[in-house]
Amino acid sequence: MIAIESAGITDVGQKRTGNEDSFYLDDDLKLYMVADGMGGHLAGEVASALVVDTIRDYMKRFKEEGDVEEMEDPDETLSKEANRLLSSINLANQGVHQVAQSNEDYKGMGSTVSAAFFTGDTMILANVGDSPIYLVHDGGIELLSVTHNVISEQMAINPEMAQKLDKRLQHMLTRGMGIEAAVEADVCEIQCFEGDILTISSDGLSDLVSPEEILDIVKAEPPVKACQTLVDLANERGGHDNITVIVIKINADNAKGGIMGMISRIMKKIFH
Amino acid sequence: MPTLTLTFKDNTIATYRIEEGQSITIGRKASNNVPIENLAVSGHHAKIDSVGEGFLLTDLQSKNGSFVNKELVSSHWLKEGDNILIGKHTLIFAYDEGEQKPDELGGDMDQTMVMDTDKYRDMLAQAIPKAAKAEAKEPVGMLSYLAGGEGEIKLVKKLTKIGKSSTSDIVVGGLMMGATAATISKRPQGYSLSYVGGMTKPKVNGATVKESVTLKDFDQIEIGSVKLQFVSEK
Repeated sequence: MIAIESAGITDVGQKRTGNEDSFYLDDDLKLYMVADGMGGHLAGEVASALVVDTIRDYMKRFKEEGDVEEMEDPDETLSKEANRLLSSINLANQGVHQVAQSNEDYKGMGSTVSAAFFTGDTMILANVGDSPIYLVHDGGIELLSVTHNVISEQMAINPEMAQKLDKRLQHMLTRGMGIEAAVEADVCEIQCFEGDILTISSDGLSDLVSPEEILDIVKAEPPVKACQTLVDLANERGGHDNITVIVIKINADNAKGGIMGMISRIMKKIFH
Repeated sequence: MPTLTLTFKDNTIATYRIEEGQSITIGRKASNNVPIENLAVSGHHAKIDSVGEGFLLTDLQSKNGSFVNKELVSSHWLKEGDNILIGKHTLIFAYDEGEQKPDELGGDMDQTMVMDTDKYRDMLAQAIPKAAKAEAKEPVGMLSYLAGGEGEIKLVKKLTKIGKSSTSDIVVGGLMMGATAATISKRPQGYSLSYVGGMTKPKVNGATVKESVTLKDFDQIEIGSVKLQFVSEK
């Protein structure tokens, strides 16, 4: 088992009047997410809040009651928990899509979502859109989300061609929550280790702060302080969009007590 | 609103104003908003659309192509002073003095939006040559037994478990083997192998894995009595 220390903040930035980002963190549920809404007036805020609330409620029921309806066709390549997270994302997508379709004020609204869910000793990461999830492990930083925008998609097919595309296309998403009746999230399941740090942010941060800078800051500062430093840095550089960031630190679980804990510690010493 | 100045060999022929919300067509035929009488120009050669705060030039698959600042373009967001070459004529795109220009990286597209899937495919079909239009294929990792088993294992799962437990994807016996001894996870950047628990730690190319390592082609994984080789296939 693992112990988690986390923090998250959102900031309107320097140019926008409203904040369309939503985020959620829960160390008991071990669920963390950022959603970056889009759509005029208040629609972006509505979409991102709806995404976060739906996923939170579903995952809470999954944990507390365990009797969430079975999935119709679980993805065999994923664990049960990853399938759950995927279901919650699908449900949230349907919710946003329905509201957008049935209400003229919310027409065309959508959101991104990037979520991390910890189970025992693995972490499950899922995303739709361009809000990046970074893992800091062993001194390096790695992007674990898949960026669903035109530039990134073309980079995967033909890097030479993609470099010639208009840079503004990086804000053109190829997938979004609530845009179509169904959505496909990208999922990744990995082992987590003591000392690992995960960051989930909106593009308001990643457009202005490089992965290397994120790495240096989260390594040097505890989560609460690191979040503030990152947001301040993005604001200093123009803050053209809303800025949201969650920093999650994996610590060793020292609460492992009792006779079994002692035995396992002794065994470790002997065999190390 | 910006203007287009049509020139030919340093002589200004005409000036056109582009209004917001308007589309302008350029071509040899008289029905175009900007007619250019020259055989090097296609009947319907290119168009300029007002999109959000910006203006987008699109080549209408003309025979001789459209060039902006000497580069062949299929579509291009126009900037102050852009030089558009159509056949032998040049159009200069310029804003009025003191007029508000969309930000260099701004315009409406600074707002994140989701592309209409059909429109997107259409646009890409125009923007990208046919030869390049292959779908990106995800490589699939494969393990082949070198010892302790036979055959190959395709790593289709996001997380493949190796260990003593019967629920493992690859079951490996041994007294010191963990229920789940190691996992292989598929990440956007490739596959990685992690040590999970138990006294038997996995080895990659002879080196003990204490946490995790990224797998490269032909890496040899050793865990207990089993030896596997990793290869990723396109």
